[in-house]
Amino acid sequence: MLSFRSPLSQCSFQSILKPGLKSTNSAFSRTQSFAVSARAALASPSIQEQAVDTDSIVTRLAPASPSYFTGSADFFDNWLALQELSRKYQTLPVVPADEVSRVRWKTLQQYRAIVGTQVKSAKYKKIVNLLNRLNRIEPSMLPEDAKNMLEKYKRPEDSNLAKPKQQQIDKWGRAWATGRRKTAVARVWLVEGIGEALVNGKPLAEAFPRIVDRESVIWPLHITDRVDKYNIWALVGGGGSTGQAEALTLGVAKALMVHEPLLKPALRRAGVVTRDPRAVERKKPGHLKARKMPTWVKR
Amino acid sequence: MLTPHYSPSSLIHNPPSPRDITLSLLLASQAHLGHSTSLWNPSNQRYILGVRQGIHIICLETIAAHLRRAAKIVEGVSEKGGLILFVGTRPGQDRAVVKAAKLAGGCHLFERWTPGAITNASQILGHGKVVEMDMRDRVKVKSPNVQADAQKLDEHEPPKPEDVNKPIKPDLVVCLNPLENYILLHECGLYGIPTIGIIDTDADPTWVTYPIPANDDSLRAVHLITGILGRAAEEGRNRRIRRAEREAMEAAEGG
Repeated sequence: MLSFRSPLSQCSFQSILKPGLKSTNSAFSRTQSFAVSARAALASPSIQEQAVDTDSIVTRLAPASPSYFTGSADFFDNWLALQELSRKYQTLPVVPADEVSRVRWKTLQQYRAIVGTQVKSAKYKKIVNLLNRLNRIEPSMLPEDAKNMLEKYKRPEDSNLAKPKQQQIDKWGRAWATGRRKTAVARVWLVEGIGEALVNGKPLAEAFPRIVDRESVIWPLHITDRVDKYNIWALVGGGGSTGQAEALTLGVAKALMVHEPLLKPALRRAGVVTRDPRAVERKKPGHLKARKMPTWVKR
Repeated sequence: MLTPHYSPSSLIHNPPSPRDITLSLLLASQAHLGHSTSLWNPSNQRYILGVRQGIHIICLETIAAHLRRAAKIVEGVSEKGGLILFVGTRPGQDRAVVKAAKLAGGCHLFERWTPGAITNASQILGHGKVVEMDMRDRVKVKSPNVQADAQKLDEHEPPKPEDVNKPIKPDLVVCLNPLENYILLHECGLYGIPTIGIIDTDADPTWVTYPIPANDDSLRAVHLITGILGRAAEEGRNRRIRRAEREAMEAAEGG
């Protein structure tokens, strides 16, 4: 038969307080015991669980986490744990910022689902900054506990998402890719070669009289210093001269990424990886063109 | 050879105890520096020694006496198993507050206090997990033996739905910047929760139960005071755990 005592009401705590004040912590009532929650892997319990023994029957209700009064205990516990790790390993060598591998951390929505509370994006950004700082540590020297902590926050691969089909290099060593700009469509075959280029069967100088257009066609190769290493054979239709040239730019860049995937960050920095979505804007009623309005008349 | 010198991290990693309170330590930590004389709260005149270079100077002996009293209170509350909440919302106070809460086995708060966390606790802290702890600070988990007894109790009187995750209130609140946390102190007053606060010359000493007249703007002074209170709480907690262990052993030998 268990007997329950409230320790606080029985002690001489009253004498310490000013008269009129009493302890507000509720006496132990016949409630369900809770094991310390381990919500996913991100709520880190700091209290030891013990099997109950009948001798220590005097109990009190206490928060499971020291961040209880913040309202979002799991978030603050996570943040503090990351700060502690970051401080502990602040002297370890670090990879330069532009060379560090870009890691996809959990989205705010995913983090909220784990933590349970409506964490604000500014708060989550602080956690992401700490993760990026820890991620910069030289990978070969990254300790186990930091590595495990970082793994918990990495975005899981969504297996349900349809992945675009990876283009392969065929048996003749060609990589094929398409590029589009305005209404121009280009199909590009890239082969290792000496730097020749044929567009619709014509050499580059004949296909594009303008120097700018010619330069933009081989721009992806130019910025990666591979102009003399690849041959281009392309078919392009639709649009105008500049549209076709820019479409070829994208096509050549995508084909180059099939040959050498590691060039992607460099090509992205040069701005040739994104398909330019700008297109001719439609004409609207009440306007003369897309935006131009007829002359305003007072009456 | 390095002569004894001040290192800021030592106040966080290895805070001093109430026994180390000396007037020279308080002076070195700039705890005596008040605000400009034009900004004072006249209720504080009993703590002020005088004026120097346009600011009020808080009497060092007063600081020491009030700090020792606060340490005694914190130690007593901790020894009886009370929940202590350390609050410090200014930038730079977070590490001291977290460390003090860790030593005390209590709670910390270094970001904005959500108004209503005491008066409207079921709404704001309703999602917080509450556990049952014994006097050795170990979480109770239902063992198979207890299960049978608990079931018997359940048949007799099932637990009320509102008790299942009832939000709890702190037994003592230590506030490092009362001027910014007046809402928290007001809520504590409504519910009779005693409060300890660092009262500068421009703060209102009646807002807290046990004021510690000291400089709340100097991080060194704040870390010192927080560290001392944390250590005091740790001592009380250790005493409680040792006594509980002794009682448990005696009960085991006797039973």
